[in-house]
Amino acid sequence: MLIFAISGKGGTGRSVTSTNIVYRHALQGNDVCYLDFDFGSPTAGAIFSVGAVARGTRRHGLHEYLRGDCAEPHQVDVWSESDREGLRTRPPEAGRLVLLPGSEGGGELSGGNEDMVRRCVQLFSRLNEEFDLCMVDVSAGRSYTAELVLNATARLPSIPFRWLVFHRWTRQHIIAADGLVRGDDGLLDAGARLGHDPEALRDRIRFVRTAVLEPDAAELVGLRDEQRAWLFACDQELRELAGRHKVGRTAMLGKIPLDPILQWREQIISDEDVLASKIANAETASAFDELAKKIVDDTAWEGL
Amino acid sequence: MLVMGEVHTGLLQSSGEIPESACRDVLHLMSGETVRLSRRPMIYAVSPDLLTGVDCRLPSASRSRIRGVGTVVSHSSITGGRVVQGSSYARVERAETDRRLAWSHYLARPGVIEVLGKAKSSDLGDGFIGDPQPNGLDLGSISARFMDVVQSSPLLDRRAPFKVARTKVRWVAQPGDPAIRFTLNADQTRTIRIAHSGDFTPAVVDLCEDLALHDWLLTTLLLIVERARIGGRAGPEVVAKLAPAVDHLLHLWMPAARVDEALVPYWHGLEDRMRFTAQWERLVRRIRDQLTLNDAAMLRSARHP
Ligand SMILES: Nc1ncnc2c1ncn2[C@@H]1O[C@H](COP(=O)(O)OP(=O)(O)OP(=O)(O)O)[C@@H](O)[C@H]1O
Ligand SMILES: [Mg+2]
Repeated sequence: MLIFAISGKGGTGRSVTSTNIVYRHALQGNDVCYLDFDFGSPTAGAIFSVGAVARGTRRHGLHEYLRGDCAEPHQVDVWSESDREGLRTRPPEAGRLVLLPGSEGGGELSGGNEDMVRRCVQLFSRLNEEFDLCMVDVSAGRSYTAELVLNATARLPSIPFRWLVFHRWTRQHIIAADGLVRGDDGLLDAGARLGHDPEALRDRIRFVRTAVLEPDAAELVGLRDEQRAWLFACDQELRELAGRHKVGRTAMLGKIPLDPILQWREQIISDEDVLASKIANAETASAFDELAKKIVDDTAWEGL
Repeated sequence: MLVMGEVHTGLLQSSGEIPESACRDVLHLMSGETVRLSRRPMIYAVSPDLLTGVDCRLPSASRSRIRGVGTVVSHSSITGGRVVQGSSYARVERAETDRRLAWSHYLARPGVIEVLGKAKSSDLGDGFIGDPQPNGLDLGSISARFMDVVQSSPLLDRRAPFKVARTKVRWVAQPGDPAIRFTLNADQTRTIRIAHSGDFTPAVVDLCEDLALHDWLLTTLLLIVERARIGGRAGPEVVAKLAPAVDHLLHLWMPAARVDEALVPYWHGLEDRMRFTAQWERLVRRIRDQLTLNDAAMLRSARHP
């Protein structure tokens, strides 16, 4: 299974959320890999605390691979190469957790060619032989990278794939998420042009809300009544807006609460962060855990 | 001087084993020439040999710049309708002159790479077996492509029963007193060194492919048993995790079945040291014991619900 992580806007929490989902999926016993296709700013190494590839790799990153400069991309085994002690011990029930970093200083992919599409197809099909799940961080907005993976998946009809569109719970983000999917030259448009059936493609797209602060959250108990009333009204408005933009409950796969430690640092939330040091909220970890199950749960992906 | 080769092995991307006719069709797509097929002791289908032209730097342990020009021979095969291999090799020989000749010259000697200039056979062999330099002769990516062609065949449903990485075996054969060494590296790569008396024959390639096949089977069975976490979860769950091994792998173990009689002693020599078959049989017993235990438990709970 291939999962593509994208967002309408930058800085939504796409990388932090998708890396945490992959980590939880590995803990659930699956062999997983994470492909950093955000060529402009490859940050996945930093999130997994692999210092050596914190800003991408110097040798055989995905960028070089797609341009044909190396035969095989560099693979990092997170369980053995992470600098975080908590990530360096692989629990007995966990599957493999492998990162394919981008190239350090690689830059955005600009218009590629047929060869690049062919190499992308080859990469996806080889990884699909080896891993239960491959998560691909496609970067924000419309990009050549998004077209590349749409093109590659159109040529791999028997490899299942899904898209996750990440957005924050604000007006601008809701509108941008909808635009990215349904707007001019959005995913559905571009997908149809590249050979996907638009209806089938639409059924393979779900939304994920990030850094959500519910108006009745414990963090907000100190608020004045006027503030709370305003928040509830605002939340209600956003729900209506989301519904109109087809980003509402039915198309949503899940939501991740706002977590103080993620606001301060882009990182993986381990059970130790929740249970031992208690710096992270249990709700955040369980939201990641839940999403890690839902991405492969077919009942959550039935036609809308 | 020497022969170098690389074999990649992996699980065919289909839900079940495919019949003889499908093996033929999948491999036929590659070249249109006839697929060779043998039925005993197991169905084995192999594509015709195809050539890839190379003009590149050759591996060298001393990192010398050695240029080689010629062709690499490759083919793809399917064993038991279930396991795919992509295999490439080239005989490295000294060129008559130090300049590059017309392609017709190299095409007349398929599977030979001529070394332009000086080179020591041991330096080339050590370089190939050790850490290969980037931008040099890359038999691995040729073999990987020969596997890809099979794996991406539209005739396969791509719903393989489990996920498993391909293994890579790099081998070097040189004339000398008969000897063989097999080394397992940390990642999915292995190396084989063979010294053979007399001239090199393609039977050596068959031997390496057979070793690669069995090393893959053993590696994969170990992985399935590890993933099953025997003792770490409920019996029926363990059995469910072990089932793909029973359905798809256990019947494929047949060491040296396709190996030329003259080379069978190499297999025996390795067996004495590495005990491949002993380890395989122990794993098989372990799996069977789990199935038996689980059957007994099911029977008991059926009698005393
Ligand atoms: N659940 C959360 N709670 C609080 N902060 C969060 C949460 N998720 C992400 N963040 C923070 O939001 C910021 C942006 O996150 P991230 O880098 O993952 O976004 P992105 O969409 O990948 O950005 P870019 O488009 O620049 O790659 C980071 O500082 C991150 O730690
Ligand atoms: Mg990011």
